[in-house]
Amino acid sequence: MPSLDPQNEFRLLTAELLTAVGREATYEAPEELGRAAIRYFALAIGDTSPRYTDPRAAKAEGFDDVVAPPTLVCETNQYMTGAPDGDGYIGHGWNLEVPGTRLIRAGNEYEFFRPVYPMDRLSVHWRLEEMTEKISKTGTAMLFVISVATYRNQDGDVLARNRETVIYQELES
Amino acid sequence: MIWSVGDELNDVNRTIGPVDMVAYAGATWDWHRLHHDHGYAVSIGLDRPVVDGQALAAYLSSQAIDSLGPGAFIRKMEIRYRSPVFSGETIRCVGRVVAIEPQRIDLEQQVLVADRVAATSRSVVSFQV
Repeated sequence: MPSLDPQNEFRLLTAELLTAVGREATYEAPEELGRAAIRYFALAIGDTSPRYTDPRAAKAEGFDDVVAPPTLVCETNQYMTGAPDGDGYIGHGWNLEVPGTRLIRAGNEYEFFRPVYPMDRLSVHWRLEEMTEKISKTGTAMLFVISVATYRNQDGDVLARNRETVIYQELES
Repeated sequence: MIWSVGDELNDVNRTIGPVDMVAYAGATWDWHRLHHDHGYAVSIGLDRPVVDGQALAAYLSSQAIDSLGPGAFIRKMEIRYRSPVFSGETIRCVGRVVAIEPQRIDLEQQVLVADRVAATSRSVVSFQV
């Protein structure tokens, strides 16, 4: 269990927040990813490659079928089955309360282990890995929250992993 | 094409407007108001809605695969978001080859808005599915 270093004084990180480290959540999509979702994502980013829409073209590239654009598997919230919140968000979250901050996406480290196909039905496991506070050069406190999502299909094949860093940045008082 | 370290990818220029942002929101099941609702953006102190950061990763992935050609498969991608991109802004994706190994090419890419760096990434692309 992580604990606060008594030698340090933190402005954002609290013992209560630290209890969230190690939390996990798993979601399972109710249906396969589907050809339409793949074509829609490619269309939305303006990618006209036939590997996303034409099985023959995809097979000519060595794939079994049309494939999903790489980041689709890590971006879709298709595996969520609830309703969106008041801000329209339906995706996974840890619902951390960090008063006096704004939330910023800092980075993603994606690993793609094999192509994702229309018949893959996603199972997603999230884990809150790490929480650390740093002070910027300008003196702003920033709480770094690192989570890891692992994406599998209905056969347990690991499709991708996404190590995501978000920052709760202290607002100027 | 035979690639060498230092070779540059073809630039990709794209103006990201409200239609693109709504399409991306629908395609990802992510309808957060930050990405399409002008009034919401203004209510939190912004001029305009903000492009979903991970859309930049999608644009860079697309540039990498399109540049490297048939069979290219991204194995890893590390992206850092440096500054937000707002609705109506034009992004320029640039990239270059930084390492070559058998059946593998490493890339560094950036998303620029004029001279502003919006995102940087490093990717590993293989040619064995």
